[in-house]
Amino acid sequence: MARKKKNDNWVELKNQPVPEGSHLLEVDNLKMYFHTQDGVVKAVDGVSYTLDRGETLGVVGESGSGKSVTSLTIMGLIDMPPGRIEGGDVRYRGKSLLKMSEAEMQHIRGNDIAMIFQDPMTSLNPVYTIGRQLSEGMRLHLGYSKEQAMKRSIELLTMVGIPNAEQRVKDYPHEFSGGMRQRVMIAMALACEPDILIADEPTTALDVTIQAQIIELMQEMQEKNGNAIIMITHDLGVVADVADKIMVMYAGSPVEFGSADEIFYEPMHPYTWGLIRSIPKQIKDKKSPLTPIKGNPPSLVHAPKGCPFSPRCPYAKDICHQKKPEPFYTSTGHYTKCHFANDPDFIKRNQPPTSRSIKREAAAKGGEA
Amino acid sequence: MTEKKDMYEKNKQVSAEAPNQQEEELDSSAPTRTLWGDAWNRLRKNKLAIIAIVWIIFMVILALSADLWVPQTLGKPNAQIYDVRLPMSAKHPFGTDQLGRDVLSRVIYGARISLAVGVLATAISTVIGLVMGAIAAYYGGIWDTIIMRLADIFLAFPYTLFVIAMLAVIGPGIQNVFIAIGILGWPSIARVFRSAILTVKENDYVDAARSMGASDLRIITRHIFPNSVASIVVYATMNIGGAILTESALSYLGMGVVPPDPSWGSLIEAGQTYLSTEPWLMIMPGLAILTTVLAFTLLGDGLRDALDVKMKDA
Repeated sequence: MARKKKNDNWVELKNQPVPEGSHLLEVDNLKMYFHTQDGVVKAVDGVSYTLDRGETLGVVGESGSGKSVTSLTIMGLIDMPPGRIEGGDVRYRGKSLLKMSEAEMQHIRGNDIAMIFQDPMTSLNPVYTIGRQLSEGMRLHLGYSKEQAMKRSIELLTMVGIPNAEQRVKDYPHEFSGGMRQRVMIAMALACEPDILIADEPTTALDVTIQAQIIELMQEMQEKNGNAIIMITHDLGVVADVADKIMVMYAGSPVEFGSADEIFYEPMHPYTWGLIRSIPKQIKDKKSPLTPIKGNPPSLVHAPKGCPFSPRCPYAKDICHQKKPEPFYTSTGHYTKCHFANDPDFIKRNQPPTSRSIKREAAAKGGEA
Repeated sequence: MTEKKDMYEKNKQVSAEAPNQQEEELDSSAPTRTLWGDAWNRLRKNKLAIIAIVWIIFMVILALSADLWVPQTLGKPNAQIYDVRLPMSAKHPFGTDQLGRDVLSRVIYGARISLAVGVLATAISTVIGLVMGAIAAYYGGIWDTIIMRLADIFLAFPYTLFVIAMLAVIGPGIQNVFIAIGILGWPSIARVFRSAILTVKENDYVDAARSMGASDLRIITRHIFPNSVASIVVYATMNIGGAILTESALSYLGMGVVPPDPSWGSLIEAGQTYLSTEPWLMIMPGLAILTTVLAFTLLGDGLRDALDVKMKDA
């Protein structure tokens, strides 16, 4: 059924086995700076992670911390100039995406790596019917005919839970509600069964009742297709449910990376602590204000000399203002960029209480009593 | 204006009365809805636009079929066969001119040149303008600077003077008038298209299309162009009127068609001498220009509304 329109000798990367010793997606110390008139903006500054099929990576951070720009860089969607790759590499199934030609990247985009955008209201072209837009990727990458693509579009719409799909493919985006449009976006991104699905704040523009449905839908699709998901969000609650791995970003670079368990129960970086402290707690008898992280993220043009978080860090010492911290790795691959990461006492003293640590303490107290 | 408003209200009523019928029509007639198909459905309901289309088609047919019947009934456009400056009558509906030629015959033949100039010159400048505007807006940077400064230079010269200067270089003659008006008209189209692209380009669906693996050309033609086509269509249809007027001005100045061949502009030029005594010599070709330019403008207006997907139910 799948017939290649052009480039018959093209090796379909998607169907190749992942080479021995490498991961599905490897981001290795990626650096992408914007060269603007105001100076060099270090938008992506040393991001590293790995991702395998079936895994979900949560990327968490404040607005402007470089979450979206990192994934756009991976997709090669950053305009160069003003952007420029300053170092590092992105490897997809062992092949460097940064060295690929534009034509090769066009084949990768949508086919191997697809993306869901934040705002479903503006991410669909208003002049085309839903069916046409769903078909575009399939006709481009899989060489489907109009009829084949339309048939598959109806299947996809039914799959993402849009009722009466045969009729709805003929409708225009403005005839859909926000939640339905986001479903369409998901269907569009999954149309070519990509290996990696990048979801850039997929639920931010939706109301809370729909959010859970959309997240569930993405998980369901992941189970069915076995694709990897990169979920970009500023909502720790969203990633807590779905992510296997979490990367916490601050000022263009990851400050902590680990499994979801490690990030939530053994966080090592003061910024991650701040994020966890600012999650509203529901099981509380008395009302207490949230604990925000004071201050604002630094300008990426005039980044602090030392640790980027040092101006806002309540534990900052002289060394933090002077020297950039190197990543500190634990045996499980959990890493953090903090000068005090190798001091278990410091971490234990300042870590926010989690449900597990509270239980542990209670058990210890009970043992004493 | 009020007439138009009434029209819209009538349309509203019509579509409100028979929504079911409409849906059935859509379901049975077309398996897929397309941008242009839907636009035509909406345009059909706009009476002014339909009148404009009918008028334009009527003029085109009149101009194309002129050889078949005009010389027999009205006389050849360039031959003196009647008394000079006869008033309007049944035999000569538009009267005759200072050399005894039938004015209606000349107006009909004039339509050939005037309509051809309008459409062809606009086509030339629209194509050049679209390409230039697309390159400037989509690639930006140095391309934008070069193209838009070039456009500024073109626009800095008085338009008519520039056309005359160009005709002086490439020589007179009607095909050179097409070329001169066409080539010199691109800067304003390029500007309109550039600004339209810059607006549309920022939309997420353009990024979404890129993330689906669409090429630059595909994005420009399939995603950006249909979303900015409304402003271009309006501009182009109005430009047709402008080109007809420019040709008239050139003919008036003696740079356009070579006498005795008629064009609407040269007819007005010839008629102005007798404005106080035989006003039809000038009024009749003037009316032809007026109605035709108006028809193109109304068509452009209707097209803009029809091409707006969200206007469908209004």
